Amino acid sequence: MNVLWENIVITMLSFGILYWLLHKFAFGKLFAVMEKRRELVQGQLEEARQTREQATAYVEEQKEALKQARQEAFEIIEQSKQSSSKQARDLLEQAKTDAIRLKDEAVRDIESERNKAVDALRGEIGSFSVNIASKLIEREVESSPTDQEKLVNQYLQEVGRKS
Amino acid sequence: MHEAPVIMLGGFHLDLSAVLMLFVSMVIVFVVCRLSVANLSVENPGKFQNFMEWIVEFVQSIIGSTMDMKHGKKYLSLGLTLILFIFVSNLLGLPLGFITEAHKPEMIFGHVIEATKGLTGGEHAEILWWKSPTADISVTAGLAAVVFILMNYLGLKYNRKHYLKHYLEPFPIFLPLNIIENFSKPIALAIRLFANIFAGEVLIAVIIKMKYLGIPFLGAWQGFSIFVGGLQAYIFTILTMVYIGQTTIHEEEH
Repeated sequence: MNVLWENIVITMLSFGILYWLLHKFAFGKLFAVMEKRRELVQGQLEEARQTREQATAYVEEQKEALKQARQEAFEIIEQSKQSSSKQARDLLEQAKTDAIRLKDEAVRDIESERNKAVDALRGEIGSFSVNIASKLIEREVESSPTDQEKLVNQYLQEVGRKS
Repeated sequence: MHEAPVIMLGGFHLDLSAVLMLFVSMVIVFVVCRLSVANLSVENPGKFQNFMEWIVEFVQSIIGSTMDMKHGKKYLSLGLTLILFIFVSNLLGLPLGFITEAHKPEMIFGHVIEATKGLTGGEHAEILWWKSPTADISVTAGLAAVVFILMNYLGLKYNRKHYLKHYLEPFPIFLPLNIIENFSKPIALAIRLFANIFAGEVLIAVIIKMKYLGIPFLGAWQGFSIFVGGLQAYIFTILTMVYIGQTTIHEEEH
C-alpha cells in the first residue's frame, strides 16, 4: 500500500467542497430552524411555568374563599341556633306567665264567687233562722223584731267565721 | 492482493477507485443532508428532521465536551461534515466489493491502468473498484491533513502568542519534541482510521473465501464493522475537536 500524494490532495479538495456545499445548502438552514425551535420550546416552557403559577395562585384563592364561606355558614347556623333557642325560651316563658295569670284569675274568681255565695247563703240562713226563731219565739220577737234580727245576725257572723 | 486502478494523467497518478468512492460518499452525504432539510418545520418536525437534529446535538455534545461552546459553535459544520463523511465512507465497503480481474494491460478513458502494465499470459491482477474510501491510507491522510492544516491555522489565527509559545514549553530544548508531537497527531489520525476500516475489509474478504460456511461470521462481522465505522467516525471527530481546542484556546492559569 503506497501513499499517493495526488489522492491526499483529491481527498482534501473533495472534503473542502463537501464542507462548503453542506454549510451553504444544508446546515445553515438546519441550524437556524433548530435555534428557532429551541426558542419556541423555551417560550412554551416559560408560558407553562407562568400558567402553573397562575393556577396555583387561583387554587389558593379559591381555597381561601371556600374557607371563608364555610366560616360564614357556620356563623349563620350558630346564630340561628341561638336565636331559635332564645325564641323557644321566650315562648315558654310567655306560656308560663300566661298560665300563672290565668290560674290566679281563676282562683280569684272562685274566691269571689265563693264569697258571694257565702254572703248570699249567710243572708238566707239569717232570714231563715229569723223565721224559724220568730216561729219558735214569736211572742218575744213580736215586741222588738229589729233588735232580735240584729242579734241573730251577729251570731251567724260568728258562725260563718268559725266555719 | 487487490490493486488500485491507478492511471497516469498528465504526469499525475489518478486513483479512479478513490475518486469514485469519494464522489459516492459525497453524493450520499449531501443527498441525505439535503433531504433532511427539505421540509424543515419549527412547529412540527418530521422524522428525518428529528434524526438530523439528533446528529447535530450529538456533534454539539462532542464539541461541548472538548471546548467552550462559545468558541466551538463555528466548528459545528466541520464536525458534522467530518462525522457524516467518515461514517458513510466507512460503511460503503461493507455491503459489496467490486473487483475486476485483468489478464492483459487494460485501458480506461484511453489510459492504461498502472497495475496491469506489463501483464503477460498467466499473470493476472485483481483491480478493486468499490471499497470504503477510508480503507485507503491516502484518503485518511488527506482527511488528517485537513485537520492538521486547520488546527495549526486556527491556532495561529486566534491564539498566536500562546500557540507559538507552547512549542518552547516547558523548556526551549523541547522544541523538536513539540514539533514531532504536532506531526504525530495527524499521522495517528490517518493510520487509526485507515487500519480499522482496512482490517475490516480484509477480514470480510477472508470470510468470503470460506464460501457458505462463512455466512454467520460475515453477518456478525458486518454488524461489528458498522459499530467500528461509527466509533471511528466519532473518534476522528472528537480528536479533531480536541486538537483544535488545544491550539486555539488558552486556558487561564488557575
